[in-house]
Amino acid sequence: MTSMRAWLAAAAMVTALSLTGAGSAEAQGIPQNIPRKELLILENPEGTIKNAGWFNIWAINAGSQSNGLQQAALDTLWYIDPEKGIDGAWDNSLAAAKPEYNADFTEMRVKLRRGLFWSDGVEFTSADVKATVDIQIKHPNMRFSAVLANNVASVEAPDAETVIFKLKRPNSRFHTNFTVRWGAIWILPKHVFEKVEDPSKFDFNKPVTLSAYTLHSFDPDGKWYIWQLRDDWQRTSLGRFGKPGPKYLAYVDPGPPDKRVIAQLNNELDVIHDISPEGMFRLAKEGKGSRGWFKGFPYGHPDPTLAGVIFNTQNENLKNRDVRWALALTIDVKAVMMAAYRGAATISAIPVPPTGIHPEAYHKPMEAWVKDFEIDTGKQKIKPYDPTVAKQITDMLRPSMGDQIPKDETEIANSFGLGWWRTNPQAAAELLERAGFRRQNNQWMTPDGKPFTIRLMVEGDLRPVMTRAGTMIVQQWRQAGIDARIDVAQGTLLTRRAAGDFDAFIGWSVETWGGHQDLSYFMDSWHSAFVAEPGKPQPLRNWQRWSHPELDRIIEAIRKIDFDDPKGIELGKEYVKLVTREMPLIPLMSYNVFTAMDHTYWTGFPTAENPYANPVTNWGNSRYMFVRLKPAN
Amino acid sequence: MRAYFSYVCKRLAQFVLVVFIGINLTYIITHATPIDPVEQSISAVTAFGSTAPESIAEMRRSLQELYGLQGSWFEQYVSFWKRIVRADFGPSLSAFPAPVSSLIARALPWTLGLLVFATVVSWVLGNLLGGLAGYYRKNMGLKVVGVIAMGLHPVPYYIVALVLMIIFGFIWPVLPITGGSAMNLEHGWNWPFIVSVLKHSVLPALSLVLIGVGSWFLGMRSLVSNIVTEDHVVYAEVAGVDSRRILGSYVIRNALAPQVTGLAMSLGGIFNGAVITEKVFGYPGMGSLLVDGVYAGDYGLVLGVTTISIIGVSLGVLVIDLLYPLIDPRIQVPS
Repeated sequence: MTSMRAWLAAAAMVTALSLTGAGSAEAQGIPQNIPRKELLILENPEGTIKNAGWFNIWAINAGSQSNGLQQAALDTLWYIDPEKGIDGAWDNSLAAAKPEYNADFTEMRVKLRRGLFWSDGVEFTSADVKATVDIQIKHPNMRFSAVLANNVASVEAPDAETVIFKLKRPNSRFHTNFTVRWGAIWILPKHVFEKVEDPSKFDFNKPVTLSAYTLHSFDPDGKWYIWQLRDDWQRTSLGRFGKPGPKYLAYVDPGPPDKRVIAQLNNELDVIHDISPEGMFRLAKEGKGSRGWFKGFPYGHPDPTLAGVIFNTQNENLKNRDVRWALALTIDVKAVMMAAYRGAATISAIPVPPTGIHPEAYHKPMEAWVKDFEIDTGKQKIKPYDPTVAKQITDMLRPSMGDQIPKDETEIANSFGLGWWRTNPQAAAELLERAGFRRQNNQWMTPDGKPFTIRLMVEGDLRPVMTRAGTMIVQQWRQAGIDARIDVAQGTLLTRRAAGDFDAFIGWSVETWGGHQDLSYFMDSWHSAFVAEPGKPQPLRNWQRWSHPELDRIIEAIRKIDFDDPKGIELGKEYVKLVTREMPLIPLMSYNVFTAMDHTYWTGFPTAENPYANPVTNWGNSRYMFVRLKPAN
Repeated sequence: MRAYFSYVCKRLAQFVLVVFIGINLTYIITHATPIDPVEQSISAVTAFGSTAPESIAEMRRSLQELYGLQGSWFEQYVSFWKRIVRADFGPSLSAFPAPVSSLIARALPWTLGLLVFATVVSWVLGNLLGGLAGYYRKNMGLKVVGVIAMGLHPVPYYIVALVLMIIFGFIWPVLPITGGSAMNLEHGWNWPFIVSVLKHSVLPALSLVLIGVGSWFLGMRSLVSNIVTEDHVVYAEVAGVDSRRILGSYVIRNALAPQVTGLAMSLGGIFNGAVITEKVFGYPGMGSLLVDGVYAGDYGLVLGVTTISIIGVSLGVLVIDLLYPLIDPRIQVPS
């Protein structure tokens, strides 16, 4: 018995010692040996980086991009802010002016800023831009090799501040490759890479930087990266806007969403990239300094990305637009929005994200057309648009969210969108019947007599908000007599989406600049020339595998006009009308990112009231935030 | 001795066969995955860009060449075995061109440090307390320990981990809840780093120990409860042998044999990492590496981690099998 007691005591002592020893410490969630008032801590949504010491962003998928590398260290010719920008959405960054094309868009001339320096003291010149192109064309395994080799016949640097791109064929949008919307082709330091034998296998550690920060330290296990403000920050393109507030930036992997919430409540994570709606509600309630893009509901930052139901239009049952419209008319978007975002989202009936410049360029000007838009079901003509849906959503939310829900119509439109398609089971049934479908024992049968089944692919836990939306839509389709099922493709989505191995999936194929009206960013890849045969890998974005002669005409017309040509908006409206009629995808809402900003240590974050930049931490554009941040008192 | 030598040879041959079959099965499973590493890489690269479709097609061709995915199935299989015998798992496809071996070398010490400690502590505590509880069946304190062990044992691991995290990371925030060490400390044999690593391992280790102890405790108590009724124990008690000697030499020693086998298998299995622990506590290690490899379709990485695990478990069992005939007189090598 004596030995037993001794053992119990020892066990108790071990436990007590471990807790006591730990209890004397503070929570260790912030970088050590750096004054907190000089440090901004941001989430790197890439998580833990396997290849932590790799900083060569020009190699394909080899290391991290959003560990601060593209936000704080690298630079390129132009930026377009998805919001309003500090000095307008367009920013000439390394370039001194907008690109100049010749008449047939086969040559692009760029004037560069002078007086900008790499972090090792070497001056940035046109030779760096030329090397960025030449090196990647010479080494076909690099990230931008293919796009540059396909477009560029030659690049010249006649003097230190001029670059002339000779293109292989007309391309009025070639400059967009060097224009940041999240990322772009970043300029590499010629004086470093020209000494490297194989640039695709060069780790670029320690990176020589061109933007205002340089690498301070990083975790070999890939959990954190710390960047330090350069002493010569004035000699960078960001220096035009003043001295960045934080001397240090830490991009960290804070772990799953619940830990991000805890970290911000403990003031150990200043900017969360994204969390669940519930996490955001908790922070808004309990985090004294936390807030989202909107001060109150719906909190989240609407990305210039349109979430929707994307059909595989090569699927026999989904080739007919009547079927696609019938599926749209069985959806109650209010229930979908509540299921996905607990109501905290901005809806869109048309295939353009309701964010950035688009509500002014497309949604509001086209509201009259959408209201008058008619569908002939064969038995009746209906006007499916209900302009009051956003207002109905606010009415649903007000009892639980109270004063956070706006009452002013303009504010409702800005936060929640305008209208959407009215649920109309009768019209949906008539459309299905016209398509040859028959109802049998409350179950829709296809024209060849089989049950009408549709698998809606979702990403599961990897994208919970979209999974919730998909689950609600499947439930609504099943109630309408369609054999709909959730198809979880957790981890396999990218492969299956490219191969067209789905009936429909919930995600996005429409992404825009946000701060610019041009729609070519996503639309150019929707040309029929790029639609793959069933089973073959589909190139970028046209996941619906949909083509239409009218769409080809619009795309080809956009290719022939300048990026800023006002005709672009008119062509964009033609696209909206065509896609609305054909419904290859059902637009739902903007993809809201619940970026939570803690004002305990820093103030001046971009918000809906002061939308000077995109705060979402992994966007290259988020760098503009640094120059507006001030230490809190 | 000759019989034992023959036994060793047979077991070694079995070991090689098990490892060979295990690695082949892993090869087949990883290559049957619907995840295409080329598409994963392309999607990661182009998810946020406006790269033209014809450029994507070209990138696809380049990546297939770069990743060595060209050639027939048989050619790839032969090339795989050529590398394996040189202990070269090739490059990671999701962190190209970093070699898989370097990724594993970075993750393995974290996994070994945490899991060897947690496994051994759980085993020692669980078996000791279980042994005592089985022998001193009327002791109130040990009955309470038994109730706690039975209560904790069925609780899902992630619940225990989350509860610990919320208590010590949020309600009473005295312990770090993420990472393997504090940020901005130099990794190496320096005191601040060592202390930081120890602090960061407290919660992950505690969560593993709390769950692990229960399992060993219940197993050991049950074994001891049977042994104490056996003739040699009863005879010793009747003969007035000291109870500590009975417990140590006649009871626990006899009950330990299956527990030692369990320990060897547990130690062998730690090379897989503790996936949930690493995810919940953001702890660096083999588990996270394995999960990331699976999601990215990174054959090389998955094969590297699982091969080490297969060898670890097989080796653990082999060592125990070879030692048993030497340490336990009840086990005889067939002549």
